Amino acid sequence: MNNTWLLMKTMLKMQFSNPENKKSHIWFYVISFIFLLPLSVIYISFINRFIHSLYSGLQPFGQESVLLGILFLSIHILLFIMSFVSVLSAFYFADDIQSYIPFPFQAYQLLLGKATLPFLYLYVTAAIVYLPAFFSYGSASGGSLPYYLYGISLFLLIPIIPFSVAAIILMFMMRFVNIAKNKDRSKIIAGIASFLFIILINVLIRLNADSTKMIDELTVLLKNQDGLLNMVTAFYPPAYLSARTLNEAESWIGLFFFIMIIVLTVGALLLFATMGQLFYLKGVLGVNSGRKRKMSGQKIQRRMKSRPVWLSYMKKELRVIFRTPTFLMQCVVQGLLGPIFIVVILLFDFGTGFQADFLGSLSDKQYVLLLFITSFIIISTNVTPISSFSREGKTWYSNLYLPLDPKQVLFSKIAASWLINLFVISLFLILALLVRIPFDAVLIWLVIILTGSWLASSVGTYLDLLKPKLDWTDEQELFKGRLIGLIAFLFEGGLFGIITFVLWRTERIQTMYGISIILLGSLFICIFIVNKLFNKKMRNNAFQQL
Amino acid sequence: MIEINDVSKSFYGKHNAINRLNLVIPDGKIVGFLGPNGAGKSTTIKMMTGILPIDVGTIKLNGLDIEKQPLEAKKVFGLVPDQPDMFLRLKGIEYLNFIGNIFNVPSDIRKERIEYFTKQFSIYEALEDYIQTYSHGMRQKMIVTGVLIHDPAIWILDEPLTGLDPKSAYILKEMMRNHADKGNTVFFSSHGLEVVEQLCDAVAIINKGKLIFYGNMEELRAQYQSDQSLEKVFLELTSDE
Repeated sequence: MNNTWLLMKTMLKMQFSNPENKKSHIWFYVISFIFLLPLSVIYISFINRFIHSLYSGLQPFGQESVLLGILFLSIHILLFIMSFVSVLSAFYFADDIQSYIPFPFQAYQLLLGKATLPFLYLYVTAAIVYLPAFFSYGSASGGSLPYYLYGISLFLLIPIIPFSVAAIILMFMMRFVNIAKNKDRSKIIAGIASFLFIILINVLIRLNADSTKMIDELTVLLKNQDGLLNMVTAFYPPAYLSARTLNEAESWIGLFFFIMIIVLTVGALLLFATMGQLFYLKGVLGVNSGRKRKMSGQKIQRRMKSRPVWLSYMKKELRVIFRTPTFLMQCVVQGLLGPIFIVVILLFDFGTGFQADFLGSLSDKQYVLLLFITSFIIISTNVTPISSFSREGKTWYSNLYLPLDPKQVLFSKIAASWLINLFVISLFLILALLVRIPFDAVLIWLVIILTGSWLASSVGTYLDLLKPKLDWTDEQELFKGRLIGLIAFLFEGGLFGIITFVLWRTERIQTMYGISIILLGSLFICIFIVNKLFNKKMRNNAFQQL
Repeated sequence: MIEINDVSKSFYGKHNAINRLNLVIPDGKIVGFLGPNGAGKSTTIKMMTGILPIDVGTIKLNGLDIEKQPLEAKKVFGLVPDQPDMFLRLKGIEYLNFIGNIFNVPSDIRKERIEYFTKQFSIYEALEDYIQTYSHGMRQKMIVTGVLIHDPAIWILDEPLTGLDPKSAYILKEMMRNHADKGNTVFFSSHGLEVVEQLCDAVAIINKGKLIFYGNMEELRAQYQSDQSLEKVFLELTSDE
């Protein structure tokens, strides 16, 4: 047990350690806290009002328990999806496991160590999503002491089942994936397959939500006490058992359901440990060897193409991103999830009705603004620019002894981020064409967002230059506990959110050409300012100071 | 030629890592750079190659100031760092091509040199593999090849023989000798005293940031009791007393 505890502590420390001085970090936290405090007050009061109004609407029919069902079902689905991503990253993409393998640890101990950080994130998410809704429901229903005791205990249990299920599925998959010789490529394929799996689940859920059939069923279900709860949680016992525990908190039946959920949770945990003991190390210990290919003078000749330095450097950047599983997932695949979900929602939820009702009511100007702000916000969350320098890690110094012009290096790094953003922009382009946004509006948006993408890439790269994280031992650490991503997002999203809002509301400028000039002008001014800041840094030999 | 003039370097404004270092490494010579761990060898090499800024003094490589003309100066030397774990996600051939592009080596010469040196170091067949899959020694050879393909006048090597198999170590030593014999400069740090003794025309010994000896083996022996081995002389020189 001591070993497990030691391992958990060490692994957590490795993920969050920062050898630099910590005083400057405190300021980041203070500023974030000041910024997030009013937001959290607004969020909690919104949830509270929402739950109270739904409760008062459902209570006369005896169907208020469905709120608990939906709450548990949605938190389990959310945590399951999050677990998929974090298990894949922590268990398989992080190479730090290699350094622990020579030590006399059991596979389950390594697993628990590796699971610590994902669990931490799951609890934070559960706290944000579950706790406000749980307390609001308690205040609406006049919850008793047992209600709160059960509720808090359930909070502690919530992440275990979704995490265990996701981990078991992935461990099983990776056991076979890693038989392939090229471990990196296998990891990438498995990673993308997992994301596709998540999207597939989303599509299936939406396809099954047949609205006309549902109304028929609803009328029948409404006649029974808790009929809606039974319907919502019918296919997922943990959500049913949790909701019933709280709903029947005052009676012995509540205790019975609570014991059931404990049994289920312990079962999931045991299954996770057993499967881990069986499959985990076999999945991790793939041989990362390349295929030996016969070389020939002709092959070398084909490879020998003289290219400008900036192009050669940019290609190197892209190769590193696409060939490093963690970088690929963080920089490319995760950025695509947002737009893909929007496409799925639009295609399966609203169909033509959405186009006719909502999109049909928009003017050309509003089309451009809507497209711009959604795509720009997604681009500003991309971690490629904020890891431009940090990705190099301890080998950054190789950029210093090679005869590379710092301006060329900067340009190549920004260009690489800009090119990666093209994936997101392409998805938005498809989306815009799918919902039949007028072609000239799409074209104007394209020009604006391509410029916006350059700004987002420059700002992120600049922030990373100011505060790089080069001292990582594992690629995963690079993306943990970094606030510059939040700063980039707040700056870009905040500034252009306000500009978009003002342009949306103003009646003085009604044409899309008018607003596009303002947007482009603002973007160019920002790009100019960032360039000035870069020049100032370059004059002070910023590269040597990293 | 490498000229280090009155160079000092401190970290966090306190510790004097390098203290008024003066050293001239002439053309046509192999100079070994010795010193115990933490003596300032790597710091000196990092300043020579532009990785670290210099606090005081100047460093010139073939007359080019590394701080005032960094790009020009970096074109005249090739560095083999002590850690070859870099560019791991590139294939060997991609790395060499990348270096070729940076140093603007014409395609035909690039091809010729890649073929020649990778065959010499027995890494030719691994060119299409990712550097990540190479052993430490293979990575070291790849970095050395990267230096050789742009044929710089000055070679700066930080522990270049660590991890090399005997055949490759022998070839590299031969190459260093030939390079110096053509009138070029080779400067390398090492902990292997016998290699320094056998290969170098001169030796520079540094301790606690100060140069404590610079000259050839004969001068060293003459100064510190002639019949002692280099190892004994080195230990005596760098002892704390």
